[in-house]
Amino acid sequence: MQLEGLNLRLDSMNQGQKVKVVKIHTKGKLMHKLLDMGFVNGSDIEIVREAPLFDPMELKIHNYNISLRKSEANLIEVIAL
Amino acid sequence: MNKIKVALAGQPNCGKSTIFNMVSGIDQHIANYPGVTVDKKVGFFKYNKQKIEMVDLPGTYSFSSYSLEERVAKEFIIDENPDVIVNVVDASNIKRNLYLTFQLLEIGMPVIVVLNMMDVAKRRGMDIDSQKISKMLGCPVIEASGAKGIGGEKIMKTIVETANAKSYYEEFKINYEELEPHINIIENTIQDTTSSLNKRWMAIKVLEGDTTIISHLKQEYHDIETLAKEQEDKFHSIYDKDSVSFLATFRYDSADIIYHKSVKENNKGKETLTDKADKIILNRFLALPILFAIMFLVYELSIVYGYKLTDYTWPLLAAFKNFVIDLMPKAYFTEVPLITDFAIWMVNSANALANYIPIFFILFALIAIMEDVGYMPRMAFILDRIFKKFGLHGQSTLPLVLGGAMVGGCAVPGVMATKGIADDRARMATILTVPYMNCLAKVPFYTLLLGAFFKPDMALMMFFISTVTVFIALIVAKILTSSVLKTRETAPFVMELPPYHVPTFKGVIIRAFQRVWVYIYKVITIVLAVAIILFAMLQFPGLSEDAEAKYNLQATKALEKFNAKAQKSTYYALVDTKDEIAELLNYYDGYKAKRMATTSKDGALAIDNKYKQINESYFKFIKPRSDKEARKINRILRKLSKDRNRILRNMKNEKVENSLLGMAGKSIEPLTQYAGFDWKINVAFLSSFAARESAVATLGSLYENNKADNTRAEEAMAQNSGYTPLHAAAIIIFMILTPPCIATMIVVKMQTHSYKWMLFAIFFPVTLGVIISSTLFTLGTAYELTGVEAMTYFYFIVVFIALALGLYPDKTINWRGGLKIPSKAKGQYNVYSKSLKGGK
Repeated sequence: MQLEGLNLRLDSMNQGQKVKVVKIHTKGKLMHKLLDMGFVNGSDIEIVREAPLFDPMELKIHNYNISLRKSEANLIEVIAL
Repeated sequence: MNKIKVALAGQPNCGKSTIFNMVSGIDQHIANYPGVTVDKKVGFFKYNKQKIEMVDLPGTYSFSSYSLEERVAKEFIIDENPDVIVNVVDASNIKRNLYLTFQLLEIGMPVIVVLNMMDVAKRRGMDIDSQKISKMLGCPVIEASGAKGIGGEKIMKTIVETANAKSYYEEFKINYEELEPHINIIENTIQDTTSSLNKRWMAIKVLEGDTTIISHLKQEYHDIETLAKEQEDKFHSIYDKDSVSFLATFRYDSADIIYHKSVKENNKGKETLTDKADKIILNRFLALPILFAIMFLVYELSIVYGYKLTDYTWPLLAAFKNFVIDLMPKAYFTEVPLITDFAIWMVNSANALANYIPIFFILFALIAIMEDVGYMPRMAFILDRIFKKFGLHGQSTLPLVLGGAMVGGCAVPGVMATKGIADDRARMATILTVPYMNCLAKVPFYTLLLGAFFKPDMALMMFFISTVTVFIALIVAKILTSSVLKTRETAPFVMELPPYHVPTFKGVIIRAFQRVWVYIYKVITIVLAVAIILFAMLQFPGLSEDAEAKYNLQATKALEKFNAKAQKSTYYALVDTKDEIAELLNYYDGYKAKRMATTSKDGALAIDNKYKQINESYFKFIKPRSDKEARKINRILRKLSKDRNRILRNMKNEKVENSLLGMAGKSIEPLTQYAGFDWKINVAFLSSFAARESAVATLGSLYENNKADNTRAEEAMAQNSGYTPLHAAAIIIFMILTPPCIATMIVVKMQTHSYKWMLFAIFFPVTLGVIISSTLFTLGTAYELTGVEAMTYFYFIVVFIALALGLYPDKTINWRGGLKIPSKAKGQYNVYSKSLKGGK
């Protein structure tokens, strides 16, 4: 489901993969929240696991763990490392 | 210096409250920040005779104005102007924590950094050079471990030193490079402001679009917003960068510099204990069973064992009741003074709620443990997908379980536990659905009706009752979130999964006590106020003169009978006047009540001795032993006591029927008749509002057999009410949906901060209940269904609707891009479209 660019979206990554944030495609409150939690350009993310019911997903960023729903992870453009 | 004012700031899960408890001890004061439901904890302590007041700011990841907590924290800084900010930093998660530190340093007030959880960091093989950090940030850095009680003294000392050296404080500045010219333009514009806050900080915040600071400045500079927009746009056009994300990236980069220069990680990439534990706890196949096991354990320990504990605390409450009754004027045969009646009613109402205190204490302690351990966000992580479907949130699990999703609970702690839900819409929906769960006090009511009308199918019916509530709650949540709550703010599900921690005993106990205290203080006081109103509504206008005369005649007859028989006894002289008989009866009733409140042999003996002391000869009538003559009196005394109780009960019932509440019950009969409810049921429901227990008590006394024999309430109801099982099914369904009790209403008011929502929480379920039970009863009558059949149909319809709503796929959005406004129909995207329209 890629509509723009050749880069990947965070929600389509698999467990154990490591990626780098390229761009965040959102605005306002969610943008602020993601920035505050460390989803700034260039940060490294590791996909730790999916929830038992496949959504949300758990990620490791800046050496701590965080969970995101896939609908939100879809807004984060990444490149695989 | 008079008193040093300290603000304690830090990110969530940094161990801020353990530091707070360590420093301020138990001299704490808990309140709300003005106008919101965010807890404000203030601690008072002294160091070297210097008084210090410490305010615990809400935990925030950042210091912007996007969440309620952040706004509250910022408003505190603006309004209260503290002398020192103490910033608690989780040493084991230092990079993200320093992101907040930079924002705090920019405020332009002296900051003290407390590196908490140093022990955890060391265990993880992290070497942190705190002196280097101190030098780089230009502020004191203290190593501490709140859980181990290390560093408290040093923190206090540094607070005093820093506050005294305040005049030497040099402003902290980050050079934001290409953003600098724009910051300067805004800073120059607001140069003459009367605000005492740091101007550079305000300028940066204005560029970030911080609503709190903008509205603070707007009174003096009307066009500050336009100016900010202008500068932002200019910056964007030159560098193709967004000022908000530029600032965030800059701060994270700065934090990264500190991290790299002062922290050495020896075990990098190695699995931590938390990682290992999560492999099991969040395992795809084990996560759900473990979650259910934990829920079951919480339920078992608090509700089941807590209930057993009330067996031991109840005698204390009963003793309190007897104590109050002893203080009140005594009854004179069938003439009971109004004040005595009133006192008994009030004590009963208070006791009914106080009885739950042991349960609440265990429950609140367990919740505090789960919060401190870090299991709460994991629970949300596991279940979010299911709840999301119905407009709820993963964090709704615990409130629903406490409310009674597993056979029985209490809505009061359930609603109180919604506090932590970040998503406002889901939080509101949870608050409004928790009361549908089966509260413990409803159980006796179901047992009464099932025992009376569904003897053979009791187990099946109980299964229906206890499971249908969850489905109803989910349906209601879906309806509410897609209608009245649709426009409520939602929060993105961006939730930290913090490392597991061992909770501190002190922290858990303090929190449990504080929450129990809130319950006692807020709930019980208001419930008592309502109890007074209900009492008045049940008492007035009282009995008519005719009825009064009728009961007087009955009383006289009973006395005459007693007199005729007593004459034959040698003790007649002791009981030959009405005064004496009335006194003897009170003596007898008082003894019986006290005797029932004790279970121990010693206690019983003490009561015997006490009553012997009060009146030796009366005691013979109560415990005649081998005294034949006394036994005669004992026999007729027991009969007289029974007669008196029967007369009192009849008087009470007639009084209730004629009372304001009785009239109310009758006046809504035309409406409730479609559901098959007569005025008695209506009165029971109306009185159950004060506390659910009273529904059973009211029904029990209304249907009691007039012959004063030993028929049980169930049988009496089956024989005397004229109801069919279909009536009972309609009543049960109404009870399932019935409005929350007054105690719950008060916590709903506390949590939603609005009377409007409290009223909604009453009338919505009542309307729903009346409609559903009327439909069921009317259709049931038309198709000649039995009660069990009606209930079965109802159950499967509800389950079907819930499943249909749950399985119905959400529409996926397959377009993206910054300028498109996504469809309103997809609830969770509303925020983005709203903020787009907001002109950002």
